[in-house]
Amino acid sequence: MHSAPGFLWLLRHELHVLWRGSILVRTHRHVLFPLITVGVIFQGIALLLAGQIVRHPLPTDEMLLAANINIVLLFALMFSRAMMASIDVIYGRGDADFLLASPIPPGRVLAVRMLGVGVSIAAPWALLGGVLANALAVHGQFWALAVYPMLLAEALMVAALAFAVVTALLGRIGPAAARRAGHTLALGVGIGIFILGQMSHFLPPETLVRFWQAMLPGPDGGGPAFLFARGLLGQGGDLAASIAFSLAVFALAWRVLAKPFAEGAITAAAYRPPGRTGAQGGKFGNTAFAALFAKDLRLLARFPGLITQVVYRSLTLVPVVFILAGKFTSYGGMAVVPPLLVFLAGQLGLFFISVLRGTEDALELTASAPVPAYLPLRAGIATAGYAALLILAVPVLATMARAPAMLGPLLAGLSGVLLCNLMLGLRLPIPLVRAEFGKAQTGTALGLILGVSVSSLWSLLVWLIVAPNPFAWLAPHG
Amino acid sequence: MDATDMPAALMVRGLAKAFGRKVVEGVDLCIRPGEFYALLGPNGAGKTTTLRMIAGLMRPDAGSISVFGRNVLADPLGAKAVMAWIPDEPLLYDRLSPLEYLAFVAGLWRVDADLAKSRAEELLDTLGLWPHRNERCEGFSRGMKQKTVLAGALIHDPKFLLLDEPLTGLDAASARLVKDILRKHVEGGAAIILTTHILEVAERLASRIGILSGGRLMAEGDLPGLREQAGVSGSLEDVFLHLTAA
Repeated sequence: MHSAPGFLWLLRHELHVLWRGSILVRTHRHVLFPLITVGVIFQGIALLLAGQIVRHPLPTDEMLLAANINIVLLFALMFSRAMMASIDVIYGRGDADFLLASPIPPGRVLAVRMLGVGVSIAAPWALLGGVLANALAVHGQFWALAVYPMLLAEALMVAALAFAVVTALLGRIGPAAARRAGHTLALGVGIGIFILGQMSHFLPPETLVRFWQAMLPGPDGGGPAFLFARGLLGQGGDLAASIAFSLAVFALAWRVLAKPFAEGAITAAAYRPPGRTGAQGGKFGNTAFAALFAKDLRLLARFPGLITQVVYRSLTLVPVVFILAGKFTSYGGMAVVPPLLVFLAGQLGLFFISVLRGTEDALELTASAPVPAYLPLRAGIATAGYAALLILAVPVLATMARAPAMLGPLLAGLSGVLLCNLMLGLRLPIPLVRAEFGKAQTGTALGLILGVSVSSLWSLLVWLIVAPNPFAWLAPHG
Repeated sequence: MDATDMPAALMVRGLAKAFGRKVVEGVDLCIRPGEFYALLGPNGAGKTTTLRMIAGLMRPDAGSISVFGRNVLADPLGAKAVMAWIPDEPLLYDRLSPLEYLAFVAGLWRVDADLAKSRAEELLDTLGLWPHRNERCEGFSRGMKQKTVLAGALIHDPKFLLLDEPLTGLDAASARLVKDILRKHVEGGAAIILTTHILEVAERLASRIGILSGGRLMAEGDLPGLREQAGVSGSLEDVFLHLTAA
């Protein structure tokens, strides 16, 4: 008699699919060696850092506060990622209905999906946090290894909550809007972390001290609000309680969602989203280049998560704005504006061209048209370059007004970095668009790494031109 | 000029392509203007590869292809200007509306603005897509996507159409509509080559049928001619199965 595949078989399949879709697998094999080298260097640095931590231990309440801040930030970061991952596994990947139609119990499919999302969002943080935990363990601080079960427990709880929120959102606003909500949350978290990091520049020291003192746990160890923090610091009872609590949340969410999932209500909510209607009438009479440019610009503007991704990359503009406004003069003042703008231009150009590559669904339509093969490529480069320059126009004009002598190197740097990264992105786009079920993924991490390197090199070059001794501010004053 | 003096809509000689193994081998085709030609064959027979080479999307290993006298290999842009190709999977941008898609395709083929606009309106109306003209295609059914792609193929009034399984995903009414549109296009002097697995479509629409198997053209002609070549009396299905059995 036929029996349905077991939980572990299904979990292995799920993890296999997630692994195949992960950035590491999509990475060119030549990148793995430098990546591993960087990992080993990080581990070495972590060993030195762990030695310092062991020699100069922080007071317990400060350790607890640091652990709690990490727990909260990780929760927020994991949650936005889990929302997007949940939408992908329910809707984007397109195989949920396929599995629901199989003889596998639907509850098992849901549990495996939730578990898979939990593991996938925990993995990068486990890799990152594990570096320091391993180093501390080498120094005899075995409590630090609690980071592994704690991260997994937190990730499972977050995945369960994200599934619940996503299914509620999908049913009401559809997958596209739910995905936008996830992107917006990620953006909010990113901006929040950035602002927290900049607090010391803008708040008086005494206010900061009062703020952190108010955040410290009391003599009771902080009560339930610090439960996860105590678990992270390896306190046995709290570690067990944190894991039990996370698993209970996971089980509760699974129990609530299992029935609608089995009935197909959750996947049906995402099925065939209605196309958005608007004043989108096409303009007839374009030349071939103008038609390609208009099409590329539309696809770029309608890319889900465009605003959040652009805002993320444009955080570089925050110090630029402060410097241009004369509010910030450290680290070389105006001299750092051109390299920052050049770096941003490179990253934006690479991002825009990668979006165009990833959303090009009808490549062969253009190939079957009577247009030269180079024309779509030129149109793509022109569109991505235009979009990047549109964002940079105001800061470039402001630089021209504040420091006209820097305009030459700035414009040369912008042209150079855009040209390099646009050409690079055409060949090696960064992975932005998740491939549909059964289709190949566009983009590799090699493009991402090379793109950041190209942006950095051009940025450094421009910096050396506008400030021949860019690190003069590091030298002791007189 | 007499119809026989006009250049053939499609002239293919000795077409060959291999991907490790031979996929298309020594295929000769000649299609006249105003002719509806159906290319049949079992899965993997080389139909799609043949169409892709004719459309200028893939270079053959050997052979020549000309469309209305234009050499596809020497002058691909000139040949593409009079052709339209519809693959089995609709080539569509999910985030464009049908009207935007048609404006894009019209731009690629440099159709005059007023003409393109009026043709787009007429095609969308005929194909029942007018109410959806400003909706993004992401929510469309397979049939609606297929009709949008067909509108795109017809907006530049091609003299030669290559259709790979054009009726896939269409309901009965839409399939009838598309067949009528294609028939009208052929009556206007255009030529069509289509592949299909629905033999009834080939039997009803095509004036000539070619049967491809293992990359070779096994037989060609109208139904009585095919029966004669196969030495089988019966339906097109009987003839097809007999010719492709080997």
